Amino acid sequence: MPSDPVSELMPLVYDELRRIAASYVRGERPGQTIQATALVNEAFVRLAGERARHFNGRTHFLAIAALSMRQILVQRARARNAIKRGGGPQRVTLDDANAANVEAAFRRPEGAPGDIDVLALDEALSRLTALDAELARVVELRYFGGLTVEEVAEVMGTSPATVKRQWALARAWLKRALDDGVRS
Amino acid sequence: MTPQQWERLKNLFQDALEQPAHERHAWIAERCADDVTLLREAEALLATHETVGTFLEEPARVDPGDLETLIPGTVIGSYKVIEEIGHGGMGVVYLAEDTRLGRLVALKSLPSALSMQPDLRQRLRREARAAATISHPAVAVVYALEEVNDHLFIASEYVRGETLREEIARGPIAPDRARAIAAEIAGALAAAHDAGVIHRDLKPENVLIKSDGGVKVVDFGIAQIEGPEATRLTRAGSMLGTPAYMAPEQLLGQTVDGRADIYAWGIVLSEMLTGHHPLQGRGDTRHVHLTGPFATVIARCLHADPSARYVSARELVTALGSDSLHKSTQGIESSHEGGLTPAPVSRFWWEFHQAVTALVYAVMVIPAWYARGQIGGWQGRAFFIAVVTTVVVATTARLHLWFTSRFYPGELDWVHRRSSRWIRIADWLFGATLVIGGVMIGDERSPLAIVLPSVAVGVVVAFLLIEPVTTRDAFKRSGISPSS
Repeated sequence: MPSDPVSELMPLVYDELRRIAASYVRGERPGQTIQATALVNEAFVRLAGERARHFNGRTHFLAIAALSMRQILVQRARARNAIKRGGGPQRVTLDDANAANVEAAFRRPEGAPGDIDVLALDEALSRLTALDAELARVVELRYFGGLTVEEVAEVMGTSPATVKRQWALARAWLKRALDDGVRS
Repeated sequence: MTPQQWERLKNLFQDALEQPAHERHAWIAERCADDVTLLREAEALLATHETVGTFLEEPARVDPGDLETLIPGTVIGSYKVIEEIGHGGMGVVYLAEDTRLGRLVALKSLPSALSMQPDLRQRLRREARAAATISHPAVAVVYALEEVNDHLFIASEYVRGETLREEIARGPIAPDRARAIAAEIAGALAAAHDAGVIHRDLKPENVLIKSDGGVKVVDFGIAQIEGPEATRLTRAGSMLGTPAYMAPEQLLGQTVDGRADIYAWGIVLSEMLTGHHPLQGRGDTRHVHLTGPFATVIARCLHADPSARYVSARELVTALGSDSLHKSTQGIESSHEGGLTPAPVSRFWWEFHQAVTALVYAVMVIPAWYARGQIGGWQGRAFFIAVVTTVVVATTARLHLWFTSRFYPGELDWVHRRSSRWIRIADWLFGATLVIGGVMIGDERSPLAIVLPSVAVGVVVAFLLIEPVTTRDAFKRSGISPSS
């Protein structure tokens, strides 16, 4: 069914990302959150030896990794929202101090203030794709994949200067879309 | 925006950035003289660019735990993940399709930290096997423990419905219903204990209420892990058991038997009745004062000393049956009971309002019948059916409220919460139908063309202006807020 190579390789990349993440979860390495860059690079290093033949080089891998990251983060944010919503608009039941502490211990740490609303970003990014797919791709690679300008240029087959210009426009456009999104 | 416009905007913006910062705006204005929309867009983008700061500069951060979740479509052994349906201390639950048997299952993925430990894995295997032997209608069946690479999954019966937590969040549950649910849970516990399985994590989140009203307790035996390995897992987000529902001996890490489940059951029952956790706000949990229905039963379950609790889950069912509902025992505090206390005098006008409104609605069926004839055709029939339907809903619900208030004041709070939205919808539809009916009567001389819309106005005024007042008066003392 999935004839396109990206969807075939996705599980492979995704699996590797998960495996690395698991080592963080087990406490083998410190840190509550890790940068996508670190994770993606590490996954590449691990996969490069054994399964690099699946990928048309490093750039191909990075592109898939960025896409996985976006899916993972969006999926997660959506699930988290669904859980928060619970059974519709209602007051929180455990309003007592004791249980609230307990609840707090179970809640995953929310992002620091000023963090990006991943769902809103994803939605805005989809709109940007409709307008200018290349620009959106640059954002996906830079933000979700943690790629540098040079790496993005390599993946996209353009020059770093072009990527820089695209990146500036995409950031301004998205910032505006997100700020507007609050109102409308 | 057309592709051409976008292309132009893009070039404009990017070229503007090549200009010295202070000349950019003038530069753009000069080039957009012919197109104000474009100018405005370009100006806005440029302005945003100047204040964009570090927006998106820092790559996304990932919580490693997030990567333990599976995206829809992932295939695990013979299971295909459809969507995530829950997330708790013991991992993430997915709705998945068992492609071998073509049925839906709840697939719980256990934290990788757990599945990495051989002895824990061994224990989970044993536990899953035991859990699979429990046979009781209120126990969600465990199908299998699946081991795929480094990951452990428990496949169990998929139960469609909402959690007891969601139901409690809507407000206290009527004593009769709470009793029925609690009895079902106790039955499930008894069956599990007979099979040698202790739940260890009974809480409203683990009790599902099916759409047909049946009860299912999920996650049997999954929390059967204790000791130092478990405490290592107190990373935010994963922990075994839920402290708020844990018996003292379980919290202290001592040996636990079925009586720990009985403790949790007592808390769940109390929470169903009052809408909140019985130990809330109390630092000293050794002295709990309870009032209201089943206070003695709950108090016995919550004993810190397991030997003072009921011995078996079967006893719970008997105890529920023998407790008379409105008996108040061991009462000291009564603050939570406000919602269940009737306020008869101030409630008279509210009851009067409900009864009169119901009567007026019912009487309106007569003019509606004549209006049907005057409108004629299928429109007339549709109009009449709409009137009768809304009248039936609104009057039945109102009379039920009136009846409850008269004869079962203790349950009024609950009934009111449940029915007020229906009544509100029926009121609006009734008013709207009358107006539409009035308009559709072709003959302007017909008195009904005036009467129907007038009554509609009266109805709207009554429920928008008068009802909130009588409701507030009636419920003020009993702590119910008028829900409108």
